Amino acid sequence: MAELLNQDEFRSALEGAMAGRQAKDASFSQAWATGKLERKHFARWAENHYHYVGPFADYLAYIYANTPDTATDAKDFLLQNMWEEEIGDVRHTDLLVRFAEACGTTEEAIVDPTNITAATRGLQSWCYAIAMREHFAVATAALVVGLESQVPSIYRKQYPPLIDPSVYNFTEDEAEFFDLHITSDEIHGERGYQIVLKYADTPELQQRCIEVTRDGADMRFAYTKALYDTYVAPDLGVWDGELVPA
Amino acid sequence: MPVIRFETSGSEVEFPDGEDVNVLRVAIRNDCGVPWKCASGLCGTDRITIVEGAENFAPPRRRERERLGELLDEGVRLACQSYVSGDATVIWDPDQKTIDEDSRAGKRLKAQWLADEDGD
Repeated sequence: MAELLNQDEFRSALEGAMAGRQAKDASFSQAWATGKLERKHFARWAENHYHYVGPFADYLAYIYANTPDTATDAKDFLLQNMWEEEIGDVRHTDLLVRFAEACGTTEEAIVDPTNITAATRGLQSWCYAIAMREHFAVATAALVVGLESQVPSIYRKQYPPLIDPSVYNFTEDEAEFFDLHITSDEIHGERGYQIVLKYADTPELQQRCIEVTRDGADMRFAYTKALYDTYVAPDLGVWDGELVPA
Repeated sequence: MPVIRFETSGSEVEFPDGEDVNVLRVAIRNDCGVPWKCASGLCGTDRITIVEGAENFAPPRRRERERLGELLDEGVRLACQSYVSGDATVIWDPDQKTIDEDSRAGKRLKAQWLADEDGD
């Protein structure tokens, strides 16, 4: 039977659960960071990404509703995160649509749920299921640690070539979605860790948090890989050196 | 290893050589007392002033440039938007509010709202 981990051990276990399966190492991310993609590929990414991140405040709202009012700091974190996604400034999905339109697609195509892969549909469904059904610390581990905390490591590699005139040549305005999330998800990720470390206070909850963090990383990896396989492989072929998570 | 010195709270945090780290993330993780509200460079509550190590800060990001304007020339940065790759020392006002609340325009609006309430 598992024993209660101290906070350092627990944090290391959560970080270890994502090792070797992070989306920054998936074929689509690597092709993006190395300047191999075309605007039509980014358009397909945006049409899919909208259906994963578009409902993010909805996922968080389910977690919020499952969080007891004694966990005020956790509730405040979730509410702040929702506010930033939706009404703090420009709605984050509007920034995504702005980028997508610069890639040549339309808002109608972006919001159309038939334009996504099965893996994207699976990721969205998994997010809803975890948010609705799991203990709030477990759901925070899955969605904030397993998914959201990966964002800075992904976009810090992808943003520079986006605005490099010799690579993808987007303007700062067109690519604001990425610059914004590099920094905001550093902070959301860190607060997510703190909430999980504080409220997963039994061996069973800790182990479940570690499991869903690994699952979240796997889901995001599969979603990202499917984008390459579906939209890029017909142009560039199988990605050389594709990572296979253990 | 490089060190960030959070002088106002007396905290020091080391980070690995060769990495660049987000200042507010380090502060939150190590309970260094930097005030903050949002994570998007909107509110400006996390304003820090660089005392040493300005050369180790990455150039200001778009939101910092828009939010801080001329304050950047005085060594002010937003902790949530700042990445450092070497030794740095920062200070802040522990009681500072959002930029708008601290601004002259904010004070004028507040005075106006209070006056309106008195008149009700």
